[in-house]
Amino acid sequence: MIVSKPLSPIISTTPYKVVLPFYLYAALSFLAATLLLFFSTDAFLKHYFQPHILAITHIMALGWATMIILGASHQLVPVLIEGKLYSNTLAHTSFILAAIGIPLLSYGFYEFNMGAPAKWGGRFVVLAMLAYLINIGKSIAKSKNENVHAVFVFTSVLWLLVTVALGLALLYNFTFPFMRHDSVHYLPLHAHIGIIGWFLLLVMGVASRLIPLFLISKYSNPRLLWAIYWLINFSLVAFILIFYFLPLSFSLIPNLLLITAVLLFIYYCRAAYHQRIRKKVDEQVKLSILSAVMMALPLVFLGIILAMFINRHTENNALMVAYGFIIFFGWLTAIILGMTFKTLPFIVWNKVYHRKAGLGKTPNPKDLFSNTVFKWMSVAYLLGFCIFICGLFFPNAHLLKPGAFLLLLTAILYNWNVLKILNHKAP
Amino acid sequence: MNITTNNEIKCNIALSGLYNVYDPEIGLNVVDLGLIYELHFDEEQKSISCSMTLTTEFCPMGESITENVTTSLQQSFADYHITVNLTFEPHWNVNMVSEEGREFLGR
Repeated sequence: MIVSKPLSPIISTTPYKVVLPFYLYAALSFLAATLLLFFSTDAFLKHYFQPHILAITHIMALGWATMIILGASHQLVPVLIEGKLYSNTLAHTSFILAAIGIPLLSYGFYEFNMGAPAKWGGRFVVLAMLAYLINIGKSIAKSKNENVHAVFVFTSVLWLLVTVALGLALLYNFTFPFMRHDSVHYLPLHAHIGIIGWFLLLVMGVASRLIPLFLISKYSNPRLLWAIYWLINFSLVAFILIFYFLPLSFSLIPNLLLITAVLLFIYYCRAAYHQRIRKKVDEQVKLSILSAVMMALPLVFLGIILAMFINRHTENNALMVAYGFIIFFGWLTAIILGMTFKTLPFIVWNKVYHRKAGLGKTPNPKDLFSNTVFKWMSVAYLLGFCIFICGLFFPNAHLLKPGAFLLLLTAILYNWNVLKILNHKAP
Repeated sequence: MNITTNNEIKCNIALSGLYNVYDPEIGLNVVDLGLIYELHFDEEQKSISCSMTLTTEFCPMGESITENVTTSLQQSFADYHITVNLTFEPHWNVNMVSEEGREFLGR
């Protein structure tokens, strides 16, 4: 018998060793954030600038959302750009730097000590994102096909670097004031560059490719995606200029541009969904599509906050806290909870079974985790999220606690399934 | 399904095996998914050349799928030399899914 290897010169994907540490780190960060949330619910009834809220927000934004996006993107960027990842070493470097920096930074916030640990944490995070930017930039530059999805991703990474660099500058400004205002003044700028420039652009860039792919949809509309891309970037630049040079009431204009972009993106997802060949949509994709709708929710909140600010010149603290909560525990978490189980099982399946190809029956990637646990996790998450939001609005500590408990339960169930996948061995 | 071949009989034997090679994410076999473009049989050299694609370049499951195709062909034609060539010209698109495949996905 003559055994031949397939000729596959351009098929090698990013090794699992590069990607899996990011997933594990993100899962543990989600657990840590929900644990802190459970023990810090009282802080959520006070002003949003609280040490515990700052710590939880940064664990959620960096440890949870950014780390999992970094991990998944090292695997998905080659799919988007149809080219190889530039460097696995740079990917490992960005993981190590971020893995050290995030706990140091979060510890500094939790203790409200902007001294050495927080500053070193910030420096490590900036270096991690710089390594990531170089890796993604070089990968895109070397690929033969440039497309709208890759441009979304690259621009989002540029905004990420701006966000973390500004964050580090704000840390320094706490102890050595060198900016015109105190650091709290610049928080909306830091937060919105991160949320819109990094998370929104990145999620749209990747989702606009993956949703039609997972649904096997005929729909494709690069022109619409370019329009969305320019609307978001123009809106963000306008917001920055307004922040520095014009009264905040002008922020309604970029907010309207952003709402238009999100509505166009929801239209894009809807069209992809309707033109799909694959009729049966699994739970993971359903949860991710739900998060596309959830995108609109923070923008509505932002509009209300701005309108109230213009009318009364006061901030509504409950709305501000709810706004941040919806972004990190709502929109971003919903996407991650769904997409983890659309990506991680395949990475591990490939690791365990690709050498066993054709040698016997292998389980499906979907069999690597428990769908029952996934369903219970989704129920706990949706209930916990809704109860916590009610607790913020009314405001009521008796609602915040059970809401936080259900979110902690979500994190436990999520970790259970992630560890089940990571520990999978061939029978 | 539009597979180019120079030997209809052997092509059908090869396909009967390839119907059992699945894309793990979609759950549909590579033939109905439209991934197999060409099966060329060289009786003198005792070799089979399979030209196929993936739903997307750099598909994370690509290596596994192509290895499965190689193994399947090798099992159907034990004394042949098998070569699987990946091509992205033309790029795969949803119109390449067979009627049977659409029926399966539409369930």
